[in-house]
Amino acid sequence: MIVTQIARIIADFILFLDLTDDEILDADAAVEMMEWVGHRLETLDKDFLRQLVDAFAVIAPEYSGDSQKLVRDIPYSFYLEEELAADDPVRLAELEALRDARD
Amino acid sequence: MAARFAEMVAHRTPPSSARDDAVECKFNPWHDPSDGRFTFAGSGNYHDAGETARADRAPGTLRRGHPWKRRIATGPKADRSRTARSAGHSEKTGGRGTTGARPRSAALPSSGQRNQAVEFVGGVGEGLRDVTVETIAGIRTNPVTTLHNAGHRIASTIDTAIAAEDTPARIQVSRAAGAVANASPREIGRAAGSVVGNAALAAAPGAALGKISTLRRVREATPPINYDPPQVGWVKENLGPEKAWTRYNDAATGARPGQAPTLMRTMPDGSKRPVKFDGLLDDYMIDRKFTVVNRPRAQAQLLRQSEVLAQHRLIGTWEVPNEKQKIAALKMLKQMNVNNIKVRIMKP
Repeated sequence: MIVTQIARIIADFILFLDLTDDEILDADAAVEMMEWVGHRLETLDKDFLRQLVDAFAVIAPEYSGDSQKLVRDIPYSFYLEEELAADDPVRLAELEALRDARD
Repeated sequence: MAARFAEMVAHRTPPSSARDDAVECKFNPWHDPSDGRFTFAGSGNYHDAGETARADRAPGTLRRGHPWKRRIATGPKADRSRTARSAGHSEKTGGRGTTGARPRSAALPSSGQRNQAVEFVGGVGEGLRDVTVETIAGIRTNPVTTLHNAGHRIASTIDTAIAAEDTPARIQVSRAAGAVANASPREIGRAAGSVVGNAALAAAPGAALGKISTLRRVREATPPINYDPPQVGWVKENLGPEKAWTRYNDAATGARPGQAPTLMRTMPDGSKRPVKFDGLLDDYMIDRKFTVVNRPRAQAQLLRQSEVLAQHRLIGTWEVPNEKQKIAALKMLKQMNVNNIKVRIMKP
């Protein structure tokens, strides 16, 4: 339950950085802030990160339009699955293949 | 084919091969004693495997056991050819020891053959001279273009030679005979000399061209390309309290505290907007990525940077803290088809 609430907070903040107009929010500053958020997510406890990654898929239907896809893609665009599989070369290879197929 | 021929010349013996019955081996025992070059049958000295004889050596003294030596024995011998012709034997009907590989010149009268051989050798010399003269003259007139074109011609010659390697010799001879049926020996020799000259340039271009002093002037004549230094602007940048990522970005080469270097990007409507980086080193604009993220806004930033770098004829560098981020950055660059930004690791 708590991880879902935290996932909503993170998702809202990332959507703000992603979708706010350039006239209101400097685009380069927004990217730098996202990079820092990404670093913070990577350094989370791995068990909690696992739950958080799963939670983004759970809360995504609460958003509409492009926002829904952006929330669902948070683990992909921040390389969170790769962070969880850092010690598993087989899983990393699988993720790389999935990413190549998707790109 | 060239290696096999060299082996034959070096050892004066046929190269060992499991495909003797499938591969046609050739050997020209006739040489000019003055310069060691191959000659036509009946002129120069006759060099057999392990022995040397004069041109008027008596035929029939070779051992007939090996198919290769049988070919030599049935090779161009004007006297025996004349004998065979006078006896009414044609090559197709299979004269004594005939294998079908008899050169056409063997059937010519010795006096006419001698003149044609001389004509051929003279033509080779002219062809070689033409190649050299054309190369030097071209370098003097338009060195860069000529060397470029010469490179194409040499490459084409090599391609042709490589293709010919896979073509049996008898087919090549047949084609050549058909193509030059009406050409004089001098013309044939001239064409052969041109090919040999081009092949020599291709085989040892450094040695051949290094002797041409004009080449030094070619190097000196190449104008250096100078571009104006990048028009870098600076804008204020305050991203809040100091954190690890702000320290990392501020430590980029050429960075100024509280400022970010920018390049002015020309928009499609003619307006100009600055694109931020974190530092610069000579002509390289540096952007540091503490963590690579592949969000739409990050992709847009990447495209902005790539476009402005292209407009200013510059190369960008993304500096990342570790190998994992480098891999992510390379994937993102590949995905976005950006190739004017490089990635390197710079530890915090």
